[in-house]
Amino acid sequence: MYSGLLWLALALYALGIGLTFPSVVRRRASLPPATLGVLGLGLLLHAVALGAEGAEIHRLPLTDVRSALSFFSFLATLAFFFVYLRYRITALGIFMLPLVFVLTLISALRPDRPFASPAFRGGWLLTHIASIFLGYTAFLLTFVAAIMYLIQERELKSKKPRAFYYRLPSLDVCDELYSRSLVFGLPFLSLGILTGFVWASRTWKGPWELDPKILASLITWLVYLILFSTRLSGTWRGRRSAYLAVFGFVAIMVTFLGISLWSGQHGYVPQLGSLP
Amino acid sequence: MNFVLVGLNHRTAPVEVRERLSIPESRLGAATAALVQGEGTLEGLILSTCNRVEVVVNARDEVDADPLLRNFLTHFYQCDLGPYEGYLYWHRQQDAVRHLFRVAASLDSMLVGEPQILGQMKRAYSVAREMGTLNGLLNEVVTHAFAVARKVRRETAIGTAAVSVSYAAVELAKKIFGNLAGKTIFVIGAGKMSELAAKHLLSSGASAIFVSNRTYDRAVELAQAFHGTAIRFEQLPEYVGKADIVISSTGAPHFVVRKEQVERMLAARRNRPMFFVDIAVPRDIDPAVNELDNAFLYDIDDLERVVDANKKEREREAVYAEEIVQQEVQKMMRRLASRDVVPTIVALEERLDLIRQGEVERHRGRLSNLTPEQREALEALTRGIVNKILHGPLTELKRAAGHPEHGILVQLIRKIFGVAD
Repeated sequence: MYSGLLWLALALYALGIGLTFPSVVRRRASLPPATLGVLGLGLLLHAVALGAEGAEIHRLPLTDVRSALSFFSFLATLAFFFVYLRYRITALGIFMLPLVFVLTLISALRPDRPFASPAFRGGWLLTHIASIFLGYTAFLLTFVAAIMYLIQERELKSKKPRAFYYRLPSLDVCDELYSRSLVFGLPFLSLGILTGFVWASRTWKGPWELDPKILASLITWLVYLILFSTRLSGTWRGRRSAYLAVFGFVAIMVTFLGISLWSGQHGYVPQLGSLP
Repeated sequence: MNFVLVGLNHRTAPVEVRERLSIPESRLGAATAALVQGEGTLEGLILSTCNRVEVVVNARDEVDADPLLRNFLTHFYQCDLGPYEGYLYWHRQQDAVRHLFRVAASLDSMLVGEPQILGQMKRAYSVAREMGTLNGLLNEVVTHAFAVARKVRRETAIGTAAVSVSYAAVELAKKIFGNLAGKTIFVIGAGKMSELAAKHLLSSGASAIFVSNRTYDRAVELAQAFHGTAIRFEQLPEYVGKADIVISSTGAPHFVVRKEQVERMLAARRNRPMFFVDIAVPRDIDPAVNELDNAFLYDIDDLERVVDANKKEREREAVYAEEIVQQEVQKMMRRLASRDVVPTIVALEERLDLIRQGEVERHRGRLSNLTPEQREALEALTRGIVNKILHGPLTELKRAAGHPEHGILVQLIRKIFGVAD
């Protein structure tokens, strides 16, 4: 049932993205209610799909790559609405939603059954996963803000205004979104990693510290820590930190998707043997 | 409805001709009144700016308005129109409506999208209203032209990009800083352009202006004009870094602001961005400053290039605006047709005959044993009633045809008899 809902949500997302384009091309100050309505309905169906899946397995549907992807793209769309309502950036959807769409699509295309491992009960793990995803969502915004900043900065430095000059927000708005999402995301990522350590040291035996996903997470965390401190002190600002933010988000995607395939404990596959 | 428009603008006529044929505001009322003096014209409007003169009339249907207009122009200018014929354009009916819409929407302006023309047209409109020369269909067209102009402004970005150098500087500052409230401006050297740019920036919310000039007295003078602080030229390096926006236009033969200085300033400002506008020739600010992260430098050529790009952008938006105008012209023409007498008479007759036939049809069952003669008599009877009812309204409509206010009567009759627009 929930996969049908997910497909429906996906179709609405696609329609919403399609409807966003003319507003951006025509340089509208805001998205028309129809576009927001379509995206909002997509979000609602997405929420219902997640809820139905959660009800079936009696916990947050985060237990495999498929449902985790779906959950992340749900959070990202939710974040899109928050940011849009706050900043009214018409072009935001163009930069943010295609990625959401692709992630949801991958999720809808992988019809694995969710599995109910006993490991997924318990507060530490739940806090670990929820915090990590909130952090990821914030950093998606940092990434989008950085991309918009880089394009607008290029337009301004080149001194030859082209299409994006007229359609992207000011550098100041990009920078504000960038730093706010960074400040929001870092505590969650830190909390997520810490609770992960606590949980792992309590439940896993053996050299869990060498798990590739854990190592990748630490690198990602380090990247964002550098971004955070340099932005706060003002030593790095603008283009350089925007590049690093792009790198950071690519690292997240690699950690999230890539390493999951090799990692033992984080493989999101029911290798019950490796779980105590 | 019989609209004829004659005019000339910056594209069809050189400035000497426009000067010669422009109508000063003091004479506009008299001219407008003179325009509709004759028997043949019902309504008239004259718009005269430094870039155009437009004279438009709504004449009686059976009248050829061209000679009337020619006559008016010859009398008003007291000269032979012959040498000016080549500069004039003539538009009739739908084309005249389209022309008025395009002019109001600033699609026909020298700087496409600049809003001044709408204000000028509104003044011409109120003069004509005062003179009582605008009270029928032309009045409807002109008021709708204002609505079209508003719609174009609302639904396209035609008026948004800056098309002058000083406004381009403000626009760029907004693209960098977003809101200019609380941003500080530093003006180095006096000059008309830098003062203008500073003024625009101040009215967009920027504040706390520092002024520096080689002659300190002039700096003090400027500072007073802008409610700012005068800084001695020697102290310049200490203060430039405190400003977010720097406008420079000194006559110095060498760079006044160098790259290393800006590098230090940026470090001291914790890399908060700086925007430099260099209006001076030779330039005041080292072009290499633009290579620094978070520093943006535009010289006068760069600003001109932005203005050019903005003009092109406006032209792209104008394509959408033309579509809106086209749609509105069509809507207007349909509405005007519904105000017209002849189509209304036809529609009225059709409507009542339909009712008559419907009623006869409804009672066919009870009238089935009528002889052909009786049937014929019934037809004649019902037709007679309908014609008697129609007689009054049709006479009134025909009588109204020559009057400018007839549109109101037409509307009323259509409404009473339920004839849709």
